[in-house]
Amino acid sequence: MNKIFFKMFLFVAVAGSLVFLGGCRSNKADADLYGSDNLYGDPLLGDMPLNDIGGLPADGDRSLFPAVYFAYDSSQVNPEEAKKCEDVANYLNKGKGQGVIVEGHTDERGSREYNLALGERRALAVRDYLISLGVNPAIIQTKSYGEEMPDNMGHDESAWRQNRRVVFAIY
Amino acid sequence: MIRRLFIGFSMLLAASSFAQRAVVEREGSGKISINLAGYRTGSDTASRNFLSVLKSDLIRSGYFTVTSSTASINVVGQVRAGSQMKADVQVYNVATRARLLGKSYDGPSTASSALAHRVADEIVYAVTGKPGMASAKIAVVGTRSGRKELYICDMDGKNMRQITNDRSIVVGPRWTPDGKNLVYTSYKRGYPNVFITSSGKPLASYGGLNASGAISPDGKSMAVILSKDGNPELYVKNLRTGSLKRLSRTQRGNEASPCWSPDGNHIVYVSDASGRPHVYIISANGGTPKRISSSGTENVAPDWGKNGYITWSSRIGGKYRVVVANPLNRTMRTLETDWADYEDPHWAPDGRHIICARTSNHQSAIYLLDTLKDSPVALISGSGDWYSPAVSP
Repeated sequence: MNKIFFKMFLFVAVAGSLVFLGGCRSNKADADLYGSDNLYGDPLLGDMPLNDIGGLPADGDRSLFPAVYFAYDSSQVNPEEAKKCEDVANYLNKGKGQGVIVEGHTDERGSREYNLALGERRALAVRDYLISLGVNPAIIQTKSYGEEMPDNMGHDESAWRQNRRVVFAIY
Repeated sequence: MIRRLFIGFSMLLAASSFAQRAVVEREGSGKISINLAGYRTGSDTASRNFLSVLKSDLIRSGYFTVTSSTASINVVGQVRAGSQMKADVQVYNVATRARLLGKSYDGPSTASSALAHRVADEIVYAVTGKPGMASAKIAVVGTRSGRKELYICDMDGKNMRQITNDRSIVVGPRWTPDGKNLVYTSYKRGYPNVFITSSGKPLASYGGLNASGAISPDGKSMAVILSKDGNPELYVKNLRTGSLKRLSRTQRGNEASPCWSPDGNHIVYVSDASGRPHVYIISANGGTPKRISSSGTENVAPDWGKNGYITWSSRIGGKYRVVVANPLNRTMRTLETDWADYEDPHWAPDGRHIICARTSNHQSAIYLLDTLKDSPVALISGSGDWYSPAVSP
């Protein structure tokens, strides 16, 4: 598991550097590497700096792609949710849309400030996955809402499940 | 005599607050009886309000029972109100006849409550030698406008006024060390940035998350959580030069909720690098963090009081409860509370009380907790939710 994680880390690091250095957009992820279910479970939160947001859009169209859902207190992109990210990556890699704001949300449990960080980590996990799929890091912003913007106002497990999510806002 | 008794008493409190609860803990014991029946007021609203607020403040301080029969302490004098208000206050130890306080206070009659808060704190200090909290202010997030905005009120929950009109979301207010401004996170520019109430310009607006800004006691730096380098981490920003120093490196963890030690040499914060959120202390210059929480499935939202003790919210048996810890010897205790969730504890300036958000049936209100003996008191409730309180220094 650790080995796989490390391999994937290397992959993302190398892919990321390529994107940065060459500005090239690799549309194709390594099929072998991404064939394994285990891999999606470990977000690779690297040191992939974010753009300063000055002048960048703060809002976008949230209706184009479905939300990605997460387990409690987790920022791992689950295998069954990964396809949603891949659809977004394909869309962006085809040059549709200028960019995406990846919005991270949590359920209401836990402290608000901790949940801000957790929501950001979910958004970053999705961002890193998009980058690994060849999306240019410069067009992916993250925005954490923590527990402040629930999708379902309920207070039970089914509501919480719907609120632990990442939403794609395409601009 | 009483004064001396109380100095001894205070030392005893300091020494015993983490060991066994001392004599003062017993119901009905340890309170000083204080008599204000001899205090003269006019029949005008301002004067009557002054006396009524003063009595409530003295009771809320935790040190007194107000009585109109024989008491240990007598408060005499008079308050007169025109456009200005003048309160003469003399406080006597009945047994020794010693005068503990003799002063005149004045202010506009429209601010009779503020004058009463001031007098209450002076009486608390004159009798017990300990600082009061009546003049402090509470900053809090409220939802009554339909948005999440910042509000400020007095320590008794009254005099509530709305501070922000960002029409978006505000999170986690903290006072500047001079007590004049608030630092908070707002989405008014679309992304979560850190703002200060004295300026329209953000204090931190990097890419990604900017949250939990906390100004150092000397006012020169700000501890802040940023994700600009790819993961939420703890940074210290020099407010003069703008330079950033990154203190945490946890690629597989979150950091949140930094708070400075009273001397500004350390920062207490939350990290889940170990797998669960726990409370850590790190030198303000960086280095290896030291974990101070051990039990509880979540340990979040620490606040380091001027009394040296750290309070935070710990999830124990499925409920959030308030923990008070001595970081020097790592002893801690959990405050006795009911079945509700108690979150975001903050020390009051008296070093004895803690303000926090109490949530029951999905409604949040602001409560005052006593670390010694008194039962929790509701300060702000109704008209939407109230949470994330911060008490002015």
